[in-house]
Amino acid sequence: MNRLKHSAVLFLLPGLLGFMIFYIWPFFISLGYAFTDKAVHGTFQGFKNFMELFSNKAYLMGLSNTIKFIAVSVPLNMGAALGISLLTKKIKRHRDLFILVFLVPLVIPSGSMDYFWSSLFAYNGVLNGWLRILGIGKIAWLDSGIAFWVMVLIFTWKNLGYIIVLYLDGLNRVAPEYYEAARMDGASPVLTFWHITLPLLHPTSILVLMMSLINSFKVFKEIYMITGSYPHDSIYTLQHFMNNMFASLNYPKLTTATAVLVSFMVLLSQVLLGMERRASS
Amino acid sequence: MIGYRKYIIASVLVFVGALFLMPLVITFCNSLMSEVEIAQNYTVKPDIFDLTDGINERFKVFKLIPERVTFRQYYEVLLKQPSFMLLMVNSLKIAVPVTLGSLITAMLTAYGFTIWQWKYKEMLFQIYVIVMLMPLQAVLVPNYIIADLLHIKNSYLAIILPGIFSPFSVFLMYQGMKAVPSAYFEAARMDGAENLSMLFHVMLPQLKSSAAALCMLVFIEYWNLVEQAVVFINDYAKEPLSVYLSRIAGGNTGLVFAASSVYMFLPLWLLVSGQKNLEKGIELSGVKG
Repeated sequence: MNRLKHSAVLFLLPGLLGFMIFYIWPFFISLGYAFTDKAVHGTFQGFKNFMELFSNKAYLMGLSNTIKFIAVSVPLNMGAALGISLLTKKIKRHRDLFILVFLVPLVIPSGSMDYFWSSLFAYNGVLNGWLRILGIGKIAWLDSGIAFWVMVLIFTWKNLGYIIVLYLDGLNRVAPEYYEAARMDGASPVLTFWHITLPLLHPTSILVLMMSLINSFKVFKEIYMITGSYPHDSIYTLQHFMNNMFASLNYPKLTTATAVLVSFMVLLSQVLLGMERRASS
Repeated sequence: MIGYRKYIIASVLVFVGALFLMPLVITFCNSLMSEVEIAQNYTVKPDIFDLTDGINERFKVFKLIPERVTFRQYYEVLLKQPSFMLLMVNSLKIAVPVTLGSLITAMLTAYGFTIWQWKYKEMLFQIYVIVMLMPLQAVLVPNYIIADLLHIKNSYLAIILPGIFSPFSVFLMYQGMKAVPSAYFEAARMDGAENLSMLFHVMLPQLKSSAAALCMLVFIEYWNLVEQAVVFINDYAKEPLSVYLSRIAGGNTGLVFAASSVYMFLPLWLLVSGQKNLEKGIELSGVKG
């Protein structure tokens, strides 16, 4: 037994080695940039980059938008997906077809939808054309604070299917006996939902949270294609800042931002994995 | 009462579903229109006739039904413009190796993680999770550094190699393997199975869905590659489709819908043919054994 368990490390090694070579090692090399003034022949300057980063307007704007975006869109997505899952569970026929429909946006390449979104939200675009018919003035969908909600919408469209699948599975795992018992006790559907369904969905919700977080960073692709490197202030995310720093070869600033993000992710992964362990035990 | 509720639920779902499909349906319907019709629907500058009619502002319109169905756009995209097919091949040259490579590495690595016992195993896995949570932009510099060191900066390998070792695939497979009841491999161990036969004969048959879901998700991710292509590929002839599409959207509007439809056909086909596996694989990523 032990021999088997020890030799299993041989299976782990190639992948681990690749992971180290392509992610961890170059990350530590790049970390050096965070403490120097420029990427080539830079001189060591301690934590100056970090101090500067936290007074950099573009960075702070990107950071606060990203936090705001996650704080708004992830709970919204979780709620919507749970709602749709509960409804989908109720129908008997064509359930697979509905799930398929919700999964479609997940697989559609961003490039294929670029022109659609641009035409929909342009200043003289389709939406404003509809508003005109209703006698309402034009709205700058992509060039005002509303752009933030456009970003939330596009993210929701893409992300919902994935978490609906997770929630449907979670709901199927709730043993019917629980509902039976609740009904015997005369609990209302709302009460049953709060005291039985939600707590039992806890392990699913942790994974949903994790996946939504990962996917929330990916909305950058769509936003970048529609609005370019410098969109309206309300949708200028951390990824825009990092992308622009990369494009202008400002590695010290970018790596400093990465280092801050990594330290945050260390904490976050600790919390998420801890929650997951507690939920599964 | 019950009967009514069923219809209300069904109509809510149909409505939401229709909204979800709208972008796709409009793109496809517009791909069957002629270039003239596309120009009519998407030009916002008023022309001389509008002005004489007293219309001084035009808006883009989405139309579902073409005035006359034509496959002209497809003909142009697929047959007359050789560059499109070339770029599609480019996309495949990136997405296929990453998919196969990450399937193999993820299988082996996840198996190692499952069977190997080590005090700090969970800590090691946490590093995978941390990298998995990072936005793509955060790994661009590390990717660039290693590509520079290995002298593969201007080749697809700069994208493919990090893709093969991406932590998400390992995460998905590891979660799937944890869900395999330990009784399965205890029994195999009693029979004196070695690791290799354990992986192939005990684990993998249980993990078909996870493997299929992994392939689909990774393929879609790299088929939809944008950022890395912008960073690593400077040669227009080597670009993947994704980058090309966002460029022609500005100029060649008459073809953009057919090009978009062709581009999304492959992932859609994968989804339709593998829906059950994708769902199962996603589900398994959340289940604890």
